Amino acid sequence: MNVKYDAIIIGAGVIGAPIAYELTKMGYKTLNVDKLPDAGEGSTSGSCAIVRAHYSTADGVAMAYEGFKYWLDWENYLDQVEDEKGLARYMNTGSILIKSDGHDWRKVKQNYDEVGVQYEEWDRETLLEKVPVADLHKFWPVRRPEDPQFFDDPTEFIEGAIFCPEGGYVNDPALSAHNIMRAAEAKGAEFKFNAEVADVRSEGGKVTGITLKDGTQIDAGIVVNVGGPHSCKINQMAEGVWEGCNIKTKALRHEVMYCPSPDDYDYLNDGYHMSDGDIGCYVRPEVGNTFLIGSEDPDCDPQEWVDPDEFYAGKGGHGRDNVLSDEQWQAQCYRLGKRIPTLQVPNQPKGVVDLYDCSDDWIPIYDKSDLPGFYMAIGTSGNQYKNAPVVGRMMAELIDNCEKGLDHDNEPFQFTFKYIGRSTNVGFFSRKREINYNSSFSVNG
Amino acid sequence: MQIYVCVKHVPDSAANITIVDNTSIDEKVAFLLNPYDEHAVTEAAVLKKQFADTEIIAVCLGRKDAEKTIRSAMAMGADRGILIEASEAPDSMTTARALKAAIDQDGTPGIILTGKESIDAEGMQTMFRIGALFDFPVVTNAVAVKAEHDRALVTYELAGGRTRTCELAMPCVVAAGRGLNTPAYPTFPDVVKARKKSIRVLALSDLVIDTSPGSSRVVALEPLVQVRNPRQINGSPREIAARIATILKEEAKVIT
Amino acid sequence: MKNIGILIEAENGTLKSANLGMITLTRAAGMQLTAFVVGVSVSAASADLETYGIARIVALDLTADQQQNPVVLAKVLVQAVRAFDIDAFVGLSTASGKDLLPRIAAFLDAPLVMDCVAIDFHQGKARTSQFSGKTLATIEVAGDVLIFGIRPNVIDPVPAPVTAEVVSFEGRNLEASGFTVLQTDKVDETARINLAEADVILSGGRGMGNSENFGLLYQCAAKLSAAVGASRVAVDSGWVPYPMQVGQTGEKVSPRVYIACGISGSVQHFAGMKTAGLVIAINTDAQAAIMSNCDYFAVADVLEVIPELTKQLKND
Repeated sequence: MNVKYDAIIIGAGVIGAPIAYELTKMGYKTLNVDKLPDAGEGSTSGSCAIVRAHYSTADGVAMAYEGFKYWLDWENYLDQVEDEKGLARYMNTGSILIKSDGHDWRKVKQNYDEVGVQYEEWDRETLLEKVPVADLHKFWPVRRPEDPQFFDDPTEFIEGAIFCPEGGYVNDPALSAHNIMRAAEAKGAEFKFNAEVADVRSEGGKVTGITLKDGTQIDAGIVVNVGGPHSCKINQMAEGVWEGCNIKTKALRHEVMYCPSPDDYDYLNDGYHMSDGDIGCYVRPEVGNTFLIGSEDPDCDPQEWVDPDEFYAGKGGHGRDNVLSDEQWQAQCYRLGKRIPTLQVPNQPKGVVDLYDCSDDWIPIYDKSDLPGFYMAIGTSGNQYKNAPVVGRMMAELIDNCEKGLDHDNEPFQFTFKYIGRSTNVGFFSRKREINYNSSFSVNG
Repeated sequence: MQIYVCVKHVPDSAANITIVDNTSIDEKVAFLLNPYDEHAVTEAAVLKKQFADTEIIAVCLGRKDAEKTIRSAMAMGADRGILIEASEAPDSMTTARALKAAIDQDGTPGIILTGKESIDAEGMQTMFRIGALFDFPVVTNAVAVKAEHDRALVTYELAGGRTRTCELAMPCVVAAGRGLNTPAYPTFPDVVKARKKSIRVLALSDLVIDTSPGSSRVVALEPLVQVRNPRQINGSPREIAARIATILKEEAKVIT
Repeated sequence: MKNIGILIEAENGTLKSANLGMITLTRAAGMQLTAFVVGVSVSAASADLETYGIARIVALDLTADQQQNPVVLAKVLVQAVRAFDIDAFVGLSTASGKDLLPRIAAFLDAPLVMDCVAIDFHQGKARTSQFSGKTLATIEVAGDVLIFGIRPNVIDPVPAPVTAEVVSFEGRNLEASGFTVLQTDKVDETARINLAEADVILSGGRGMGNSENFGLLYQCAAKLSAAVGASRVAVDSGWVPYPMQVGQTGEKVSPRVYIACGISGSVQHFAGMKTAGLVIAINTDAQAAIMSNCDYFAVADVLEVIPELTKQLKND
């Protein structure tokens, strides 16, 4: 007799854990399985954990702003659970969005107004007062150091910035996933680690469970693919699922740099999260008075699509994939070095290399599948960490409604954001959609 | 004064090293300025402020792509660079001869700085050979330098936190330890300035150097792969500690 | 090749125990061994040297001041190498060896391999690590004199008693022009061994509990001449400063021994220490990732084990 659950969630990262949490609260008996030894150790651990609301669609802004409420009220969201590892902390630095040609910031402002996001507009003087180390020239377009024009002197200035005081980052994303796991376990959820899924079983056109690599079979009428960069492989294990998706996912290699702040600038305590489309970077503080430098994937940067298993075989082992490339180290650090002329860039690259689970249009797939009982929360494309608690709730409600008979493909589920009182059409995230060309096709979402 | 800094283009210490052909490494990894040489360049920049009419020249023996390391040295304060281009890395005796010949051809050293070892070959000896060829006194693992035109007070580190301070006649050769200073990494404006600085390239075969009587070469290279088979240590804290002490002594041989 | 010279290292008037392993290693070549002794009286040293197979002991006649000057030492040793017809010269690859052996090699224009873990004197080959501990290189040397620095304690000493002939040797023209020693042995109390260079690292994680408990690691480290590191958790919690962090976004280290104290072993942490020679993990959680990815593990409380270890270690 196989062990049986109501729902098996593949993946115990920052999206998989809240789905379990919310389903468990609704009365489902859930099991998360994860191939790694602990929650949040996969691509979640490489996340910059930025919490910001400046998306290019009103719905995107709304979901992110809803998410703020969870991060700002973390202990209550977790229902006061105790975690032996301590709690992740939300560092509410505020979020600066530079008014650049790299972002449609006017659209963001419109969306902010529509959703009711608190924000301020800063002119150059104010921006300089808040970030005294900054050089406010306009460096657009974004280039690479291999391009001689990268070194041209700038002649214009940027206009200023939009500041969102409620934004920031989470200091330990892996820990945040672990916290949510403990909260879910407190409600009865179960988690199984070092458990790699080898097959998704179905019978009579419905999902029946999974089989692990060691042969263990676990049954469930609901299976949710939250496999992160492995999502494409898992979708291919389940009958008819991969073929039924018009939008596919694949893993994108990404590098994030750690560069020390100038000695006379206490970035860790005085600094802000900053989204700087003018140089194609976003930054936030890190312990050690360090700048964490993420890339906004400008067109001039090569994209490297990888096989997640081969990539992670390098992680902690002998492959090349977990090692930062010198070219990208210089690209990201020198781009920031234009904005912060006193930034001293070490010769040795330091940072994190990890994967985005990218969809064809960089918008997630939060949906059911062509196999009844099989759902997916994938294609997060490097921009969904902040939405994790909201996505957990949304997926749980979607699954619950579908299981109770909702024909989501034809009558899309409308999800209500309980804090900001707005609802969103979950069909926006459909696996059947045509590529959405309104998307920024980047981590900006 | 002309301050010569001998720098080496080495694989990043964080690089994953794989071996090809039994004797060399796969060079498709990041290469950069040897970390100990960073301390040397930084110290050169400090010394330059002390003396009037002074320039810093970075000298490097390597392949064409070693220009990157010379650029890094220039971004950190070197005024110009010399690349001795060689397709294969010669041994320390030949390297020292080549560096001396290049320096002699270029100018008159007031002081020669370098790092105490390169993180690839880890030979820890080229600075002494340079000193012997020039007949300059040499110190390695320096943690403090106070230089004047005719003499330098150099402190270097021995074992166990002990240091020794010596007075050296100038010119001298000083090899930097980590304790010498904090490397002054370049800002973007420094990098922009360095692009305009010049690097003179000459071939190793262009230099007139005598063949050294001895030789040294790598005939085999094996990876040190860590395959771990965990064994449990049982017992009380005292028993566990005793077992660890034994492992440190007998297996790891890090204590006696 | 017939004659091998061995530089015996002394400290505070006594022989360093590491000399005995070096003699044992060198003895395997089956050649004539000559020990060069300075800084310790021959009468004090000869018993040990004879026990381990030294048949000729050369006492170098130097004043206390001359013994402090590495240029003088190198000069007298060069003269001795020539006088005693030495074909291969070995010493310990210690801080003092690193100051002395390359000087001798430079004066003689002879090849030198430092930090050897094995030597084949007949073939002129030595093995040593390269590329930050990631590879083992076999180096072939050729020349009139070959010089080797041997890693301390790489093999265990094995006695092979003989009786030794003792001679003394006085150098000529031993002025070290241009190199005057002003002051030695000033102890820098604040000197902490650098993480990137340490042979042994004691690293603390969540299991340390707080900042004060790191004091237990500092005490133990002092006995081991080890550096103290930390996992990201300890730094994030403010127990130790960021320069002590080992991991993907901290320092990458490659020590001979890494002792992980109360560290669970996240993937990010492994990225910083996976090339360590020997990994010993102490953690109360038997399921922690590091326990299945180490060489030795103990399911125990570090706060109890480390003080015991400190007690058991001799003063170094």
